[in-house]
Amino acid sequence: MQKKWADRALLAVFILMAVLLYRSTADYPGIAQSTSAKYVRFLAVFIAVLCLAQLGFGLVRDHGRDILVLTGNRRRFLALLLGLGLFAIAFEPLGFYLSGAIFIPAIGWILGYRRPLVLGLTTAGVLGFVYAVFVQLLSVRLPGIEIF
Amino acid sequence: MEYLAIVFSPWALLTIFIGAFAGVAIGGMPGLTATMAVGLLVPFTYTMDPAMGLMLLGGIYAGAMYGGSIPAILLNTPGTPAAVATAIEGYPMSRAGRAPLALKTSVIASFAGGTFSVFILLLFAPFLARQALAFGPAETFLLALMGLAGIISIADEKSSLLKALIAGVLGMIIAIIGTDDMSGSLRYTMGLVELYDGIDFMPALIGLFSMIQMLELAGQKSHQIDTSALKKKQKGEKLPRGIGKYMGLGAGTGTLIGILPGEGATIAAFISYNLSKRISKTKELFGKGNPEGIAAAEAGNNGCVGGSLVPTITLGIPGNSVAAALMGAFIIHGMIPGPDLFTEYADRTYPFIISLFVANGVFLAVGLFFAPYLARIALVPPAIMVPVVAAFAVLGSYALNNSVFDIYLMIAFALGGLVLKKLGYSLEALILGLILGPIAEGGFSQGMIIGKGSPWIFFDSNIAKVMWVIILALLVPPLYSYWKHVHKAGKAAG
Repeated sequence: MQKKWADRALLAVFILMAVLLYRSTADYPGIAQSTSAKYVRFLAVFIAVLCLAQLGFGLVRDHGRDILVLTGNRRRFLALLLGLGLFAIAFEPLGFYLSGAIFIPAIGWILGYRRPLVLGLTTAGVLGFVYAVFVQLLSVRLPGIEIF
Repeated sequence: MEYLAIVFSPWALLTIFIGAFAGVAIGGMPGLTATMAVGLLVPFTYTMDPAMGLMLLGGIYAGAMYGGSIPAILLNTPGTPAAVATAIEGYPMSRAGRAPLALKTSVIASFAGGTFSVFILLLFAPFLARQALAFGPAETFLLALMGLAGIISIADEKSSLLKALIAGVLGMIIAIIGTDDMSGSLRYTMGLVELYDGIDFMPALIGLFSMIQMLELAGQKSHQIDTSALKKKQKGEKLPRGIGKYMGLGAGTGTLIGILPGEGATIAAFISYNLSKRISKTKELFGKGNPEGIAAAEAGNNGCVGGSLVPTITLGIPGNSVAAALMGAFIIHGMIPGPDLFTEYADRTYPFIISLFVANGVFLAVGLFFAPYLARIALVPPAIMVPVVAAFAVLGSYALNNSVFDIYLMIAFALGGLVLKKLGYSLEALILGLILGPIAEGGFSQGMIIGKGSPWIFFDSNIAKVMWVIILALLVPPLYSYWKHVHKAGKAAG
């Protein structure tokens, strides 16, 4: 997608959000009508005006054909995102150590690192550091199955 | 004396040393920034003694600001964005076999800039904080507006003024999610219990400033660093005469820029660098390896450290994104920025400020003796760095509230923030809006109640009038230069 179109779509979403935000303030109860509601209306109007101005400027001045590129390597980017999602899902049921022991080497491998010993030592180092510094020294509570 | 005793206790000194050393190492890794390091570690200081936790973070801030210059000089790879100007002069010097002089100039200038700015912080912060006692809700609202005026100065060639403002207001809109303080009713929580207290600042910060960088690094096509300068024979030299002038220029400029809300170390470094170029007698050497440029840029970016903390701890308006992260640390320890920090919490605040002097001394020693070895940190492959930092990002997001929801929030902010960044919206403005939103809303709502619905309360007091003048003074110059820029671009186009 071209950058300018992505930007215009995003601005349109913000304008729609501003309209919905403004309308939602009608439901604010009691004292909020003369306080918070006014503040929220101000924000809604302000962002809508700014977005309209940006949209106008963009339409007049932006004739670029640049493509919106979120990443130079889609496979690695999506793998990291997916890995993060799975890490978060597994965080409580498996615990930090077990999920971390899978996440760190797996992502390292996916990102192209091919030295299992270094990956293993790095993972062990990170988990050991977390245990020694955060759990023992700083008393941070971590969830799930403890392997230490 | 009592505060000095706290700072110079063995545990405190060890904490500061670890913080500053880790800061230099983190700053030396391209892709890792001071904001990211401080943001990641804030949740973990929750269980620490508050003074120790703050000293650790302060050490990281000071160390990371300097650390970025080492790979900039030796590998032409700035460790942090604030070290880009340093690379322009430092790397040609390394290639010419003058790396020791470049490294020495950089660390001494960083020390000078950092120490000067902390001295200014120590001198002015208590005075400014006392003025905050006279602030009512109307003035608090205006204070938030002043912070937002800083958003305009965040705008640069990558993020336009309008887009910086949109990002700032978006941050303020995100901040209204949660319970309405006035009526106690829920707003835009979508039935999620986790949102009743609003969007937590820390997952947002970690997502926007740590995870985004990891997503970008993971997607980089290649990671090649020129190590030829490391292998080259280098000669030792004394600091050139008159270099102190450029350090002084950078220290003053950096401190002043740091005090302005929204302005960061990168801008401070470039402005200091450009000023030094203007007054230099050897202008022709700029770009080819001039230590004067390194001195000004490094004193400039380290000058931001103390400067950025002045509005942060006195008025609750963070000077830049690292200061915003540090403010998060103050808040989680129950230390709300303002006069209380210098009275009720003086035994934590003053040791923290004094510890910054020590941190500057630590990185001076580290830089003078170990800088060439530390440059190798920049060679850590992204494939190792990314999963490790990502794991800490997940852990840091979780640790503050023991909430998996905060991890999802962090990932959402990273992804959303990446799209915004690629489209030219300022993430600094977004985070500033997120911080200032609740302050602005609280001041506005209470002001409206006191003023019985009349907005004149925001213009009534003398302090309010002075604040309006400051807000206008902050707004007019960037708006004028923006108008000139648009006008010029319009003429060129047609």
